[in-house]
Amino acid sequence: MKKLVVPLAMISLAALAVAADSALQPVSNPGPILDDLQRKMSSLRSVHLEFTQERHLKLFTEPLKSEGVMLMERPNQIRWETTAPYQSILLGNDKSVAQFERTDGQWKKLKLGFPEMLKRVMEQMSLMHQGKVDALTRDFTVSVATGAVAVVTLVPKDKSVREMLASLEIRMQPDLSATREVVMNEPSGEFTKIIFRRERRDVKFPPGTFDQTKPTDIAAVKAAAGNAP
Amino acid sequence: MRLNRSLLFVLLLAAGCATRPKETLPQTPRSFPADGLITQRAVLTARGRQFTLNGYLSLSATGGKRLIITENFGNVLADVLVKSDGAVHVMRSSQAFRQKWIERYVAADLECIFGDAAEGNCPVRMISPTHFVIDRFWYDLDLQIVEIKPGPQPSTMFDATAVKP
Repeated sequence: MKKLVVPLAMISLAALAVAADSALQPVSNPGPILDDLQRKMSSLRSVHLEFTQERHLKLFTEPLKSEGVMLMERPNQIRWETTAPYQSILLGNDKSVAQFERTDGQWKKLKLGFPEMLKRVMEQMSLMHQGKVDALTRDFTVSVATGAVAVVTLVPKDKSVREMLASLEIRMQPDLSATREVVMNEPSGEFTKIIFRRERRDVKFPPGTFDQTKPTDIAAVKAAAGNAP
Repeated sequence: MRLNRSLLFVLLLAAGCATRPKETLPQTPRSFPADGLITQRAVLTARGRQFTLNGYLSLSATGGKRLIITENFGNVLADVLVKSDGAVHVMRSSQAFRQKWIERYVAADLECIFGDAAEGNCPVRMISPTHFVIDRFWYDLDLQIVEIKPGPQPSTMFDATAVKP
């Protein structure tokens, strides 16, 4: 009986997932929705999100997971910190980026190979999470579908980029009030999913949170976030 | 993607120039499960610039070793299978990690740390049981083992004839 129940449960879950996606309705003119998204996000001064990053590779029966925290503060500060299974900090703003790795209990700042490229990636992440999707139209074709979730899909315009990244989906609450997931789809069918949770808005981050020389420890940042709404 | 093109440029520079190990250092016995999944985090230093990599190594007592290397946001840079008899099969390469480079250096470094090649020509230092440094002429690899999950891995992992991903 148990052998039967597990596949049935999996089929039911898969069916639910398909149903949720099939219920999505493409929006013919995404402009007003994107404007609404940007308006809603524009009042945000800062945000603290915890995330689980799942790497789905065909070879593995289970996704490869990592955990971390993403912090943003207007106008342009971003911190992407992986906390498990390893510890790494990426920091970026409109001028520079920095990366730290924790080895044998010590943080070490890296001599980044291509800081400009990483800076660009960090900027795009920041724009997405501020709802400034229209600013990404230079590099991506943007479409929107709505339903149980609102999905903003970005397809790279550059063919060589599409060979690595088929599309990028930002899955949000139906009312566009928060980002739930970001999915990076590859042409092979493999994908990376970043699931966000425990969002805290308008956090007053402690000094040094975005410091690119000696960033404040994440425990102090989390404590500050715990006091936010 | 400009990031990837630039990354591959530096890595290719390193690959083209990586010729010989500096020296072979005495090895310390190390222990890994015969079957399991080992997650690694590494910093590759080439020409003074540093890149972070994630490694996922599946081990099978009978099948061999399968290593997948990704960059920070998950893109697969290299995928190599080293069979129990030492045969190397590059299952996936990338512009950053070309096939020849994977065959010659990734597979060799893999054997240096996780294989029986420890007594051979291995420029590896064991800082701790979970921390290794490979020091070659044109690149250094600082590798930490961050997670070990013992247990059998899918047999398809070690099938060199399986369809490449």
